[in-house]
Amino acid sequence: MWLMGNVIEIEELTKVYGWLPWRRTVTALDNLTLAVPEGAVFGFLGPNGAGKTTTIRLLMNLIHPTSGRALVLGKSPDDVKMKERIGFLPDSPAFNPYLTAREFLEICAKLLRLSPDRRRSRVEEVLEVVGMSAHANSKLGGFSRGMTQRIGIAQAILNHPDLLILDEPLVGLDPHGRQELEEIIFRQEEEGTSVFFCSHILSDVEKICDHIGILSEGHLICNGPIKKLLSETGLNVAVVPGGDDAATKLLLDATSSERREDGGWDLVLPIDAAARVGSVMKAHPGQVSQLPLFETLEEFFFRKVGRLEEKEGRGA
Amino acid sequence: MDRIMAVAGGTWRRILRMPVVYFLVLCVVALVGSAYRYNMLSLGMHKTIMMDTSLALNTLAAILVAISITFEIPRELRSGVATTLLAKPLGRTQYLVGKLVGISIAGLVITGMIGVGFCLVFITAFDRVAMSMVQGHLLVMGSVIPMCAVGVLFSVVAPDPLAAVLTALVIWFGHSTAAVLGGIPVLYGGITPDFNIFNLKAESAHEVAISWWYILLATLWGVSFAVSVLVVSSSFFSRKDLR
Ligand SMILES: Nc1ncnc2c1ncn2[C@@H]1O[C@H](COP(=O)(O)OP(=O)(O)OP(=O)(O)O)[C@@H](O)[C@H]1O
Ligand SMILES: [Mg+2]
Repeated sequence: MWLMGNVIEIEELTKVYGWLPWRRTVTALDNLTLAVPEGAVFGFLGPNGAGKTTTIRLLMNLIHPTSGRALVLGKSPDDVKMKERIGFLPDSPAFNPYLTAREFLEICAKLLRLSPDRRRSRVEEVLEVVGMSAHANSKLGGFSRGMTQRIGIAQAILNHPDLLILDEPLVGLDPHGRQELEEIIFRQEEEGTSVFFCSHILSDVEKICDHIGILSEGHLICNGPIKKLLSETGLNVAVVPGGDDAATKLLLDATSSERREDGGWDLVLPIDAAARVGSVMKAHPGQVSQLPLFETLEEFFFRKVGRLEEKEGRGA
Repeated sequence: MDRIMAVAGGTWRRILRMPVVYFLVLCVVALVGSAYRYNMLSLGMHKTIMMDTSLALNTLAAILVAISITFEIPRELRSGVATTLLAKPLGRTQYLVGKLVGISIAGLVITGMIGVGFCLVFITAFDRVAMSMVQGHLLVMGSVIPMCAVGVLFSVVAPDPLAAVLTALVIWFGHSTAAVLGGIPVLYGGITPDFNIFNLKAESAHEVAISWWYILLATLWGVSFAVSVLVVSSSFFSRKDLR
């Protein structure tokens, strides 16, 4: 059953690699349950070897689960027709080296059943979007890592997908490329595409994603809207010029303070000083304003993944 | 069908774009053509020998094409090229059919070119081509499809150097075991292939007419053998975990 509003549903999915009796088996995913809401830009995070690529490969039916099941756009991953609505960028994408970029994209467009005249124009369009028009007639075999990645992105958005699944899309891209990819993802989001991607570049994830899930050793350790997950760690307090009395009362608790050019103050206070800020605001009405300060995704990530390892350390 | 042809197109284009293919075709034709100069050595049998050799060399070309697929498919699977295609709305069976069609088209073009090359040599040397020789080359072309199917099967079930060896063994076996297994009809030419039905070198060389029905039936057997091998390959392939 497809719960309305989820583009990906994973239920108790387990994947064990290796079946030869004399080889060690690896449990890459252990009873993973996860749902990705429609329209979300979902960042799938986790340390190396956590099982992110394994999850994505299971969703794309490239590998088969040991147990459990997954639904993508409400269909089983082995549904070939469903893939007409999906865009997929594998980790370290590889393409036929003897084809030119344009030929390759045309083959992809053919596989995606774009009509012949639509095919031409769409291929030119995506080449333009990923900034590869100038290399359209060059052989893919001669492309650099980042150029290959760009073509990978081009083939993923060729069909205006409903769901975009990207495995480490930022790898290999130069700063321009990263910015362009962000723009591409934002544009896809505006078109109503849901995006599911994994990445290690947390600053970019924080900018792009509205939902995240963190996987560690095959277990999901947290998942939800990024705004709800990142907790308040402090307050950004601004004091107007001439509010030196108010500022003095707060300076003692501030973890950082800065005098602005206009004579006002910018202070950062820890979350446990909230009550004190409140009382100062009451005492000096109109002089003090505050904004909550959230931890960064990086801090959150280390808090979560680190804590898990601590637990294991204690257990051992 | 479109999708199968999209995969096939990638495969045959790749092979037919390699200049070395044309160089080898030219070499093979030149080799047989040059035998004409040595009719003294072959005691006047040079025409028969040339016909025989031309068919043997063309068969060899067909075998090489079939073996080449056992390198191509595992490489595509290992490098992740196949992954990109299979993440598109392309079934695994469609991918295999596309590969087989593609490699068969390449094989047909190459063996066809060699056949036509020999016919031109014969026309130049003897002013005419025996119909039996044309038929012999057509049969070699017919053998391309079942042999490539064997290549596809092994490239799916075995790792790549082994796949090539197994394919070569089965093709050799299929060309040579009539004496051993020929008496058991279901086995030889049924489960195990009988590629000797495509080998009418003796008839061609001695200009014994071959019935067109025979050629048609042999080709049909080849195609149905290829289809059944594909069914087996595909059931293996759809269970396989891809990189
Ligand atoms: N084909 C395979 N055979 C055996 N084990 C594998 C295979 N692929 C992955 N694994 C194992 O499964 C676990 C998860 O791997 P996976 O590639 O999913 O990690 P990941 O989260 O994508 O890591 P990274 O961030 O490094 O890309 C790892 O322990 C890895 O060793
Ligand atoms: Mg990975």
